This record gives sequence, C-alpha cells and structure tokens, in this order.
Amino acid sequence: MKLNIEGLLVYFPYDYIYPEQYSYMLELKRTLDAKGHGVLEMPSGTGKTISLLSLIVAYQRAFPLDVTKLIYCSRTVPEIEKVVEELRKLMEFYAKETGEVNNFLALSLSSRKNLCIHPEVSSLRFGKEVDGKCHSLTASYIRAQRHGNPNLPVCRFYEEFDAVGRQVPLPAGIYNLDDLKDFGRRKGWCPYYLARYAIIHANIVVYSYHYLLDPKIADLVSKELAKKSVVVFDEAHNIDNVCIDSMSVNITRRTLDRCQNNVDTLQNTIHKIKETDAAKLREEYRRLVEGLKEANVARETDIYLANPVLPDEVLQEAVPGSIRTAEHFVGFLRRFLEYLKARLRVQHVVQESAPQFLKDIFDKVCIDRKPLRFCAERLQSLLRTLEIADIADFSAVTLISNFATLVSTYSQGFTIIIEPFEDRTPTIANPVLHFSCMDPSIAIKPVFQRFQSVVITSGTLSPLDIYPRILDFRPVTMASFTMTLARTCLCPLIVGRGNDQVALSSKFETREDFAVIRNYGNLLLEMSAVVPDGIVAFFTSYVYMENIVASWYEQGILENIQKNKLIFIETQDAAETSMALEKYQEACENGRGAILLSVARGKVSEGIDFVHHFGRAVIMFGVPYVYTQSRILKARLEYLRDQFQIRENDFLTFDAMRHAAQCVGRAIRGKTDYGLMIFADKRYARSDKRGKLPRWIQEHINDGSLNLTVDEAVQLSKHFLRQMAQPFRQEDQLGLSLLTLEQLQSEEMLQKISQMAHQT
Amino acid sequence: MDEEPERAKRWEGGYERTWEVLKEDESGSLKATVEEILYQSKRKRVTQSHAQVRLGMMRHLYVVIDCSRSMEDQDLKPNRLTSTLKLMEGFIDEYFDQNPISQVGIITTKNKRAEKLTELAGNPKKHIAALKKAVDSSCVGEPSLYNSLRLAIQTLKHMPGHTSREILIILSSLTTCDPANICELIKTLKSLKVRVSVIGLSAEVRVCTVLTRETGGSYHVILDESHFKELLMHHVKPPPASFSSESSLIRMGFPQHTVTSLSDQDVKPSFSMSHLDSGGGPALTLGGYFCPQCQAKYTELPVECKVCGLTLVSAPHLARSFHHLFPLQAFIESPADNYQQNKFCQACQGQLKDKNVLACPLCCSVFCGECDLFIHESLHCCPCCIHNRTAT
Repeated sequence: MKLNIEGLLVYFPYDYIYPEQYSYMLELKRTLDAKGHGVLEMPSGTGKTISLLSLIVAYQRAFPLDVTKLIYCSRTVPEIEKVVEELRKLMEFYAKETGEVNNFLALSLSSRKNLCIHPEVSSLRFGKEVDGKCHSLTASYIRAQRHGNPNLPVCRFYEEFDAVGRQVPLPAGIYNLDDLKDFGRRKGWCPYYLARYAIIHANIVVYSYHYLLDPKIADLVSKELAKKSVVVFDEAHNIDNVCIDSMSVNITRRTLDRCQNNVDTLQNTIHKIKETDAAKLREEYRRLVEGLKEANVARETDIYLANPVLPDEVLQEAVPGSIRTAEHFVGFLRRFLEYLKARLRVQHVVQESAPQFLKDIFDKVCIDRKPLRFCAERLQSLLRTLEIADIADFSAVTLISNFATLVSTYSQGFTIIIEPFEDRTPTIANPVLHFSCMDPSIAIKPVFQRFQSVVITSGTLSPLDIYPRILDFRPVTMASFTMTLARTCLCPLIVGRGNDQVALSSKFETREDFAVIRNYGNLLLEMSAVVPDGIVAFFTSYVYMENIVASWYEQGILENIQKNKLIFIETQDAAETSMALEKYQEACENGRGAILLSVARGKVSEGIDFVHHFGRAVIMFGVPYVYTQSRILKARLEYLRDQFQIRENDFLTFDAMRHAAQCVGRAIRGKTDYGLMIFADKRYARSDKRGKLPRWIQEHINDGSLNLTVDEAVQLSKHFLRQMAQPFRQEDQLGLSLLTLEQLQSEEMLQKISQMAHQT
Repeated sequence: MDEEPERAKRWEGGYERTWEVLKEDESGSLKATVEEILYQSKRKRVTQSHAQVRLGMMRHLYVVIDCSRSMEDQDLKPNRLTSTLKLMEGFIDEYFDQNPISQVGIITTKNKRAEKLTELAGNPKKHIAALKKAVDSSCVGEPSLYNSLRLAIQTLKHMPGHTSREILIILSSLTTCDPANICELIKTLKSLKVRVSVIGLSAEVRVCTVLTRETGGSYHVILDESHFKELLMHHVKPPPASFSSESSLIRMGFPQHTVTSLSDQDVKPSFSMSHLDSGGGPALTLGGYFCPQCQAKYTELPVECKVCGLTLVSAPHLARSFHHLFPLQAFIESPADNYQQNKFCQACQGQLKDKNVLACPLCCSVFCGECDLFIHESLHCCPCCIHNRTAT
C-alpha cells in the first residue's frame, strides 16, 4: 500500500498496517526532518524493521541530497539476515508498483568468517583464525614477495578482485551474505573485500554494531561513510554495554605470558632481519621520523590492527624518538610488560585512575606518557615491517599495546582495577587487571557527531530518558509506542506471595530462605499443570539457579514437575545449551511440554525467541539485579553519579528492569502470539520497579494483578489461557489493530494514531 | 462463594468487545443493542449450519476420553470427569437421534495407556451404560494421544470408504506421553482420511492444533460447562464429506418387527444374535427383527448382521437421516416493516415484535426468530410448505 506520511509518499509492502507502525513512521520522519537523533521504543513483533526501512528508503528517494545512506546496525548475523530479507520484500514491492528498475544498492557486511569463500580459509572454525589466515595470504608484502617467488600460496579471489573488481561497481540490488558469496564465486572475487569496498557507495548498509562503535574496527571499515547518513541501532537496549566493552581491556597473567612469547619472537625476527635486510629497518625508521600520516598510506589488507582510540584522539605527529628503532621499541615493550607483571603480583585489590597509573609507571620504570600513546601505532608499523604473516598469534601483545595507548590517551571515564583473586574463590590466585571504561558516551560520541541522524530503537528502552543521559546526547524525538491489540494477548502477573503468605523475593536476605525456595517451586509446579507446551523460567544468576534447583530436587518438587513437563537447563556451555534448546523445542512440538530453566542476561534471554507454543509463559524468579559487589560496577556507578547525576539505585533498577523486560518479552513476538508474563517477586509491585517496565507491558498490569498469591495467579492464568485458545481470525483484528488503507485514511483513526505516540 | 464471580465472568465473556457496537437509542437505553447482539448470535448458528453441501451420512466415530490425573480438576463441577461423562451421555443420545445409521465407540486413556470402553457399535444404550459405569473409575497418570489414536485406527481403517472415519478427543491434560513420534502417526491418519477433532478442557496444546489442522478436524477449547456442551453438540451434525470419499451402493435390509404372543403355538423363543456375545440379560425372547437375508434375529436396530453382514436399519431411521442431505434452506431475513399487512408469525401465531422477520423462500410464509430456530434445528422442514402440499 502507498501511504502519505506528512506529505511523503511511502511504499509499504504489505496490504495491512498496524496503527503503531504508522505512528512510528510519523515520529521517524520528524526525526529525519530535523536532522537530529531519536529514541523510539516499539514492542517486538509489531514490524519495527519494515517501518524503519520503508520510511527511510522513501525519504532517500524523495530527498536524495539530504539522506544519502542508511546504516542499519543490528546485533547478530541472523538479525542482519532478517533485515535484508525485509528489505528485499520492500524493493520487490517498489519494482512492482513503480514498474521501473531502481538502482538501489543494499548489502550486508559481516566478518571474514561469514564471507570467506577461499576453500581452505573458510573451513577454519574461529573468526580469529580466518582473519589471520586471510591476512597471511593477502598482505601487501606477502603479495610483493610473491613476485620474486611464485610458489607462495595465494588467494586467487583477492587477486582477481584487486585486478578488476574495483573498476566495476557492484550491480544494484539487495545482497545478503549468501548473495555476496554467490556473486563472489561467480566472478571469482573476494566477497569480503568486495563488500567492504561497496559499502562506500551503497544506499543501505546492514552490519553489526561493532563496525561503528568499536574504534579498532570502525576506523577500518566505516571511516569513509558519508556524513549525510542515517544510522539506526536496532535492539539497542544494551548499547551502553557494547560501547563500554569496546573500550575496555582485561589482562590476566596468561595474557602476559603469551605476550612475553610474542616479544621474544619479535626480538628474534628483528635480529634475523638485521642480518639479512637491515635496509628495511632503516627505511621504517625514516618513515617514522616523517610522521604517522605517511605510514597510514598502506594497503587495505595490511591494516589489520587499528588504533584502539577514537579517530579524533589519534595524534598526527611523529613517533617519539625513544621507540623509533625496532630494538628500542621491543625493549620498551619488555619494560612495560615487566611493570605489568609486577603490578599483577599484588596481594590486595588496587583501584586507581589512569593519571595515577601513569605517574606510577613513570616513577617505577621511567616510561613516559607520550611513547605509551604511540604504542599501538608503533606495534602496527613494526609488525608490518617485519612482514609477519600470521598476525593472529600476536593478539596478546596487541592487547597490551592497545591498553598502553588507551590508558595514556584518556584520563577521564576509565578506571584500573587489579584484583588478585576472584571474590568467589579467595584462595586461588588469579590476578586480573581490568582497564574498564565507565562512560559509554566516549565510544558513541563520534557517531553522534559525525552522522546527521542516529536512531536508537528497541522493544524495551524504558525509561526512555535514561538513554540520552548515559549516552550523553540530545535527541529531537523520544517516543514509546504500545501494541494496539484486538485481544489482550499478554497477561503480566506479579506474584508476591506464596499460598502460605510468605513474601516471595530474591533479595539477598531471603535468598537462602527455605520457605521462599519452596514457594518458588510451588509456583513452577502449579504453572506447569495449567500452562500448555513451553514454559521458560528465568533466574537471576547461575549460582542462584543451581541452589534453587538443588533444593527443589531434595524437596521432591522437581519430580512432581516432571509429571507435567520435561525440564531443561541452560548452562554456561554453549553447545550444551543449544542441545537443551533443541530438545526443549521438540518437547513443545510433540505435546509432551517442557520447562526451560535459564538465566537472565544469559544467551537464552538475549537472543532466542520463544514464539507461540515455545513460550506460553515466562516466569521471572526474582529481580535480575547485576552483581552489585563487583568493583567495576561500583566504579561505574560512582562515575554515573558524579558525571551524569544518576543515582546508583536508579541505574541498578533500570538495568534490572530492562533485563527483566527482555526476558518476559521473549514470549510475545507478534499480535497473534499470546503468553503469560509472571514476575515472581514482591518488589515488582513497587512503583519504582513497575514504572521502569516498557509501556506496552505496564499498561496491562492492573491493580488486580499486583500482589497475587500463587493460587490466584493460577486461577487468572487458567482463565486467560482459555480465552486465548478461542479461535482468532484476521477479521477480528481488522480495523482495530490491523488497518487497510481505507481504514487508515479515516479521520477518526488518524486522530487516534496521532495520540498514540507517548512522548516523554 | 466461587460461583458468583464465575457467573460474572461468563456474562462478560459473552459480550466481549461489544462496546464498539453498543449505541444508545433515543431514550438513552442500551437494551435494544443488547437484544440485537443476542439475536445475531442465534442467527449465526442457523446460517452457519447451512454452509455445508455434501455430508457424510454413515459415520464411524471414536470418542477418546482423557481419564488422566488432570480430570480430577474441579473447575467443572463436581469434577471434570463426572461433568464430561454426563455431557457425553447427552451427546450419545443426540448423536444417534441425528445419525441413526452411524456408529460410535469410546476409548479411555490414562496412565500412558489407552483402552476401549465400548466397541464401535450403533446401540446407544450400551454406550450410556458404559459411561455411567466409568464415573467411578479413578483418574491416574498421563494420557497418551499416540496410543489412543493407534487403537482407534486399528478399527477405523477397516471401515468402508463411503463412510466417514472420525475421532473426537476430549483432552483435559496438557501433556501426553507417547511411545513414538506422533508426527508419523498424524501422516498415517491423514492418508487414511481419518478426521480428528479435539475439545480441550484446559488450554491450547500445540500438538492438537497440528493434529486437527492436518486431518481436517476442528479444535476448540472450552470456556465453561455450557460452552463445553455447545462444542460437543457441534459434533452431532455430520461433517461435510470429503470429495475423495467413494460413492457406492449399499445393500441394506429393512426387517419388519414381528410381534408374537406366548399364546401363539407355532412360535418358539429364540436367541437374539446381539445377545450372544454380551451374554447378560434375558437371552430367550419371542419377537424381534429378522434379517431378510439369513433370518438371524436381532432385538434392536440399526445393526450389522452378524451372520451375513447386511446392514439392518428401519425405514424411519433412514428417513431421519434424510434431512442432512437436503437441509432446509435458510429463510430470508428482512425488516418487519415490509410485512405490515401480516403481523403474525405463521408458526406460533404470535405477534411479530422483532425488528427483522424471516420468510421461507418457497412459500413466502413469515416467521419470527424463535420459530425460525425451531424449524431449522428440530423440524427440518417448513410447516407451511408441508401444509400447502397436503392441501393441494
């Protein structure tokens, strides 16, 4: 259908539209008009992706000069593929409606591991190995060596691409990862480099967060993207953690040992080269004197390691004299390494700021701030000069040099914590140095500055106003949309008491309480008898889950549950978990019924959808607070309080509630789906917790479902499930939560829609 | 105490989302619209039942009753099992009333096993007696869909192609304990053209959705007892025959009931064939139905002759099934204003007070809504048409 969104003609590839999609597009258009940033929350399963794509593509066509490119960032490869499929549908619709072939180029980009078509390289299992192997085949000096010695192995796909691929632009169309690979195979070109080259002139790029947020990758891949782009971060409820992770470094004793080996190898190689080809080292020295700028004009395949700091922090000066020669630099690395080793030998926890660390390192081993800042740059240059093919081995020394550069560049927003042992096992020495970023706005700032519109969207972004605060930006639109429903297909219940009136809570004081554990078991047992097919239960942590399950086993509760349903457990082992998931789905499919016990913040809670019968109920045992005793968290909370005036408790509750919302949101993946959401903790009833749930869940929590006992919850669930099992056809939705074009254009509906977006 | 809120919910359930249609009339009363809704729901039932064209007349239906632990749940009074069996008795009666030449068998499943309560047979009394006896049985363990379907297939697959093969499952449990993959069995059911319908007593279970969708049956979940009854009664009407079912001529016998008195010297008391295997009851009787082909004696009809295999029915039975084949056409609905001159219902002679009246498309007689329902659901023929026919 063709829509008119405030004067913009939008092609929408479906015959029906949800009212909230229309409203979402309105808000999005306003954001683009204002060339500003936006925060939009819309429940999953209401067609967020297609609304985004339809509107932005229409905008691009209408104002080709204002918006040149859409950069769509998603979290995982399957999600990326889903976006591309939606886009394909949209483009087919365009072609059908307008009758002309449009020259739209859209493609997805992923790592070499997902794109490589080289028979040997692509068979490797780990991403790092693939990257390293690829580098050893395609680095410019390797290729130069091949001129002298044609027997060296070669990647013919890259050679072919290098020879002709750059002249011919990628034909217009929609490319997902497989399409790129097919195209690459057909032409004999390397799909990875083809994609990286093509994103510069593509209209739409779909890739992972890291290509924009992690400075190590962003500098390589996304440097040349135009300013007039619209950036969309989908599923962005965890974006602050992604930002923080991309800037943080953890160093263990093992890292240091491997680093030691790396440094030894470097030294040996330097010796060898000195004997055979001293001119090369001299040449490098000369280049370094002239400055880094020139050193940067290397070939694309060489830049394997980029600077970990953000582009505007990179110094455009010459490398300081003390680390210019290769031997001096290796010596420097050695000294730095020894210093770190000494620091890791502490017996107590040390926390210090970056300036303190720099002062200490200067006092102890006379290392200045300036050479530290160039450490990453210098290592990169050295590795290139030494023509080391297999760079994957040098990850340890790379990590250390990244740390050196980061610690000397940023004095604010970072902290260094050295822990001699883990809190849980105080007897086993396992020293770790955390160099932890506390301010997510550091990593994302260049994105906000560079691109004219950045849209942050997800199903759970409540409370909306906290994201602009922690990411430090000023949005022009902030809106939360609810799901219009023809029937109330979600049923949030807050169970606060057991049948014996014992308050249910996972708070620390009552965590070991026998009565609470028994009542939790009772809840699961009773629910397993009334809920069909699949139930997913989330615990706050693995330890807590283990304790509870062990206790249930002793009390015989597990045995009783197994009469109703099979039980599967998520573990920290990925293979085990995926096996459990598979069997869980099978049991839901064939009528046996199953319960999956998993952990909030785990793999299951973030990435797996439990559509329809795979999740008829989600039970959240307790409030999933993050482990508050962690020093990194404490430092971050302190920082948030000082810098952004966010109280510790506010942030912790916000963080817990967004994870709770993520967990329970797993069950509802669309309007035809239905599911129970059971919050089993009396603290959920308090308004500070409840108020932080997304609006589309909140509005279905009425006062009657606030502090239920297990029995009451079971009665309500029974009634709900029977209601939902009644036949539900599309006609029931039409005109209410599903609109045709005529219905959409009616005056009454437009008025309703305009009131829908909940501005904050 | 529990009864009152439940009532309130039932009431609400019936009028869900009706606020959109509710409009006040001039006097500000909502009465008119509420009546309208009631009336609409009644009409819907009549028009729906006329959508079918070709019906399976000779039905072979297995009813599977879940007797697992969950049947002890007391959300139906006094408990699910008693309530279900009670409703089943009514169902059996109604079923044979509407489908006199069909057969029913009952299977119960509990403790991971399935067993036949009654064999496939056309005698309502036997089924009802068995159901009455089953009330006292205990409900234990889990049901097994697989085993019960398997058991039903064993008999149904031998049924001739022109008859319908149906299974109706009344499932209370939300879990099933199967010895093998049920998906394979669903494929077998599909290939054998067995139609499986499910009535769920607690919630929607995925495997039942798949099962009914694949085999062309229906799947419903009850809201309360009255809804349960309504859903059961849906299954009384024969389902539309599948186009692929064979058509064939069937030999049938129409035995006369011979009544003899003890005073008649020629007659000797004899055994009824149907009593031979059941054993109990008065064995020797005087009169009965005698198979026209082999002279075997039966006390009840309809039955398949044990000796020669002839289907024995009585003529009135067949006549009663007849209306399924030629259902009465739906009456034409029109506003009452068109019938100013004729203000009385032709059937009940009451004044036409409803907004709409219904007219028979053949004889153009006018009826009120209530009579329309009665004519379509019970009489199956228009009284005025019949009257005219006899008059001429």
